[in-house]
Amino acid sequence: MNDTPAADSGPTPAEPSAAARPAVSRRRLLGAVGAGAAVAGAAIGAGGVLAARDHGSSDDAGHGAPAGSASDTAATVAFRGGHQAGIATPAQDRLCFATFDVSPTASRADLAELLTSWTEAAEAMTLGRPVPGDVGDLNTPPDDTGEAVGLTPGRLTVTVGYGPGLFDDRFGLAARRPSALKPLPQLPGENLDPANTGGDLCVQACADDPQVAFHAVRNLRRLGFGTVVPRWMELGFGRTSSTSPQQATPRNLMGFKDGTRNIDATDASLMGAHVWIGEEEPQRWARGGSYLVSRKIRMRLEQWDRDRLGDQQDVFGRFKSTGAPLTGKAETDTPDFAAKDGSSYVIPADSHIRLAAHENNNGLRILRRGYSYTDGIDPQTGDLLGGLFFVAFMKSPDRFVTLQRVLGAHDALNEYIQHIGSGVFAVPPGLAAGQDWGRQLFG
Amino acid sequence: MNAPSTHRRAVACAATALAAGLLLTACGGHKDGSGGSGGAGTKAGDASDRKSTVAISITDKDCAPSPATVPAGSVKFDVTNKDSAKVTEAELMDGGKMLGEKENLTPGLSGDFTLTLDAGTYEVYCPGADTSKTKFTVTGAAKKTWKDDPQLVAATRQYGAWITGEVKELVTTTDAFTAAVKAGKTDEAKTLYGKARIHYERIEPTAEIWGDLDGRIDGRADDAPTPADFTGFHRIEQALWQQKSLTGTAQLADRLDTDVKSLYAKVKTVEYQPAEIANGATDLVNEIQTSKITGEEERYSHIDLLDFDGNLAGADEAVRVLLPALKAKDPALAATVTERYRQTAAALKKYVATPGYENTGYVDYSKVTADQRRTLSQTVDAYAEAVSKIAGKIA
Repeated sequence: MNDTPAADSGPTPAEPSAAARPAVSRRRLLGAVGAGAAVAGAAIGAGGVLAARDHGSSDDAGHGAPAGSASDTAATVAFRGGHQAGIATPAQDRLCFATFDVSPTASRADLAELLTSWTEAAEAMTLGRPVPGDVGDLNTPPDDTGEAVGLTPGRLTVTVGYGPGLFDDRFGLAARRPSALKPLPQLPGENLDPANTGGDLCVQACADDPQVAFHAVRNLRRLGFGTVVPRWMELGFGRTSSTSPQQATPRNLMGFKDGTRNIDATDASLMGAHVWIGEEEPQRWARGGSYLVSRKIRMRLEQWDRDRLGDQQDVFGRFKSTGAPLTGKAETDTPDFAAKDGSSYVIPADSHIRLAAHENNNGLRILRRGYSYTDGIDPQTGDLLGGLFFVAFMKSPDRFVTLQRVLGAHDALNEYIQHIGSGVFAVPPGLAAGQDWGRQLFG
Repeated sequence: MNAPSTHRRAVACAATALAAGLLLTACGGHKDGSGGSGGAGTKAGDASDRKSTVAISITDKDCAPSPATVPAGSVKFDVTNKDSAKVTEAELMDGGKMLGEKENLTPGLSGDFTLTLDAGTYEVYCPGADTSKTKFTVTGAAKKTWKDDPQLVAATRQYGAWITGEVKELVTTTDAFTAAVKAGKTDEAKTLYGKARIHYERIEPTAEIWGDLDGRIDGRADDAPTPADFTGFHRIEQALWQQKSLTGTAQLADRLDTDVKSLYAKVKTVEYQPAEIANGATDLVNEIQTSKITGEEERYSHIDLLDFDGNLAGADEAVRVLLPALKAKDPALAATVTERYRQTAAALKKYVATPGYENTGYVDYSKVTADQRRTLSQTVDAYAEAVSKIAGKIA
């Protein structure tokens, strides 16, 4: 009711799940700006549409989704569909991730109502519109906090997930618990801080503009007063994984390309085999969803930076400069895990890519969608606090557990990292037209 | 943020009026004449029960309403796009503010929106048309104000009487406190400190109308430009609990006495408006959040839970006088506010003790753990969020 994307009727791209919808400029906040400004806003919106269209036509692979250059940030990602956006859709540059606990005083009806209002707000925000409701009443606090006004939607996606605790006896959801959802077991080498671990619900907001992502989480939090309380929140920058071949592989804070062998999220059969919950799940409502595992992984950056290049490359199993495996020349060359140099493997036995490779884990794969993070300076040591905020989607959290039991015990990288936070969530499938998260969860 | 007390915002509108030398009631506080601000379907009762229908036909040329004049009341706008490809929406504007709209009307589509409108001049706006704005007039009696609502008039009187009563108590209890200070009776003064403080905490948004007075009575060490400017309750609190010496405090005690008496003389003249009362309640609950949960306000004595009690009682009084009117306008919000008050009071009650730390009826706040403070804070947050929505409903 508030606002119209001027370009709603524009062209739709070939790839609907990763839809780079026509550009929508975040228009005026209702009547706060006069008519002249509104007209100017519409003109900017129209220019954005043209830019997005040009980009799409030059993309020979037919993936309409842009790869994240500055000129693409006006694009939107479809909120509804078979799967939630923010998993298979191309990874944006920024993340704001938060988890929440349901207040002890909140009822089943309160939770259902909140999830309905979250749906409405999230859908509006992904279109670049403010949280619905504002009429500019001077005596009422604005419904939207306002910091995203004038910014483009930045391909915002808002993805929700439900922690194991939500399916206890509080809300009558025990009978609807997705069967693989349970707390993660203790894993080797972890040192989890309760302040960065767990939660009844999670919200993953990704966008190309950090303020857009933060705005989304902040406003959902605000709608949650009285029903949920925030548990922890993380801001991520510099996506550390590419989720489609069209995206260049980014580097993590250790300076390495990490994620070259990630699942190509545009490959439906790979996604079906490894990421989406399928027919095997007795809870029909959860099919088409996934499981999200988050791990806050601190990197000992100062110590890492002092490690000699040869060792850094042995730790990862890749060349730092090109990202190629130590047995190859180009980044995407398939690693040769059998190759030996004398009596030892070229890609060392305890190197990260060897231990993580699906070839060495009975074909087991997960979709990584992580970001770098920093929390500033460690007050005790003066060292940098930062690392990888690991986010991955998978058909069952057991897959992560299996991988991490290997990595946590043997990975040469462990000398330089520590898992300090954790979360596991069932991610429901996408919403059909007219559906909302509350009705989807409670049935 | 260490929100210093003197920087806190009193009912802003009232303060402005005062600065201009006007009576407080001269301050409108609400955008009268804008009309229909509640959006479709709300604000019923502000205008008559008259119902009108207005047709708006979108063309490349314009979007003229027909008829162009209707009586105040409920107005349904039927919007039709006959054949315009470049104009696809119509909005009703009140100055720079959009009151309602119908959008995405491609050629051949129609839709409607309904608003309750007060008398005034509006514009129908269709971005993109040759003539994008057309005047639209609503006739009838001027918009009613809160003064036409007996429930709200009663609420303001009731609230004013309560505030005056509280400040009267403040004068009496401060008198007893300062007498003990001047007599050098440290233990007695410590007990009497809280007895006076709670009355101030209940009425704080009103006291903040007079910023200088509030600063002298309730300012903290960090609010004072120079150490000599640090006076009032908290300066004596510092002497009692931190310096453990009442040397040189007699003058401070006299000054405090004079200041609260001066406050009493002033509050008797104040007339309140419903929106100010509601916003004052929000300020009080925010106060709990910023200066009690943090332990900032009573940093020497740690009787913060008593101040919490005072702020909460002050907010609750403001909400209770407005509740009959709120129930009539938004029963769901009234229920939420009531329930969240109950939850906040219950959360605070966990720390009740008899006779309690320094006879406050509560435990020493410095003994409340970080986790417990966080739980208290989250409960208060939820209450504040609900309270902040009251003013828009009743004003």
